[in-house]
Amino acid sequence: MAAALVLTESDRLLARARAGDLAALEQLCRAYQVPVYNLARRICRSIEDAEDVLQETFFEVCRSIQQFRGDGSLWGWIRSIASSKALMRLRRNRYRETDELDEEFHQPVARGESGLRMDLEAALERLPDLTRAVVWLHDVEGYTHEEIAGLMGKTPSFSKSQLARAHVRLRRWLGEEVA
Amino acid sequence: MMNDHLSIDQLLDLQEPGVEPGVAVARAHLESCQQCRLEADRLAQRSARLRALPSLKPVRDNWPRIRDRVEAQRRRVFLRRGLLVGLAAAATLLLAVWLRPVVPIAPASTEVAQARSRSNQLEQFLQAYHADSRVTDGRTARLAVDLEDRIALVDRQLEAAQLLEERQREAAMLQLWRQRVGLLDALVDVHLTQASAVGF
Repeated sequence: MAAALVLTESDRLLARARAGDLAALEQLCRAYQVPVYNLARRICRSIEDAEDVLQETFFEVCRSIQQFRGDGSLWGWIRSIASSKALMRLRRNRYRETDELDEEFHQPVARGESGLRMDLEAALERLPDLTRAVVWLHDVEGYTHEEIAGLMGKTPSFSKSQLARAHVRLRRWLGEEVA
Repeated sequence: MMNDHLSIDQLLDLQEPGVEPGVAVARAHLESCQQCRLEADRLAQRSARLRALPSLKPVRDNWPRIRDRVEAQRRRVFLRRGLLVGLAAAATLLLAVWLRPVVPIAPASTEVAQARSRSNQLEQFLQAYHADSRVTDGRTARLAVDLEDRIALVDRQLEAAQLLEERQREAAMLQLWRQRVGLLDALVDVHLTQASAVGF
């Protein structure tokens, strides 16, 4: 007897995208563009870099979607591409900006340290690039330290120490230190 | 007994899955220390506030640029593939011309007719099977499209071979018709394998 083949709407969309259907790929792109852009903006900060990361991410998705085996979620797969592209962009920018050897000196005037409270957006932006990326990937996107280490080509200890440093700073800048 | 308050590193370790050395002691301290519990709560609240930050949205439509890049890349792949097949066909024809005085070409019209007939049978089977209207997975669809592209290229080469001198034409036609039968056979296999995989 023929087995019933039940495909959900998203399965059909994915099957069409895998077959190279541009309309299906456009639907996927539009469905995931906001979370991808948000991740890229939070990591890279500038609008231009975030848009480049968005385009590179979905170009890669269109090119490699046949390789997505469906073991995990589609968003998880797209997010790993976006994270990797965003971190690559950070690295590229760091190589270009040779004066970033010591990020501490390149932060704006320490508003938080002068006793004024900053809002969370401003405090997050003020963190050094790699530290901010670790905070975002760990606390918001839910990556483990091992996964972040893999994406960054660093060790899990690096990721842990960056996260701890970030929280010490955020606590101070947000005026949350326990008396 | 731990007298000092927990550091941020220790508080963060407590949030991680798994039990690292020292975590049990830190957890015991947390139970008994109000200040550390307050710090742990603030840490958790800060992470929650980060997750609650509004989503930043792209200001312009990026899809047209992505689509242009995808289409440009597909054109490059198609041209490269077409060029390779064309070169291979040209080389085959040149070889046939080169070998003509040395190796007499046996009359092949019967074999051409047989290959053509087999090709027609396979095409009729595919039409009756309604492959286009069946549900397939991405891999099957990709394979099928690839085979169909290659069949279309063979068809163009068959048209070109009509212009050759008779003896060369026979040899080229035979080779191309056999190639076409092979590709159609593969296409039938792809569809039937997919069908058995989903239980038809």
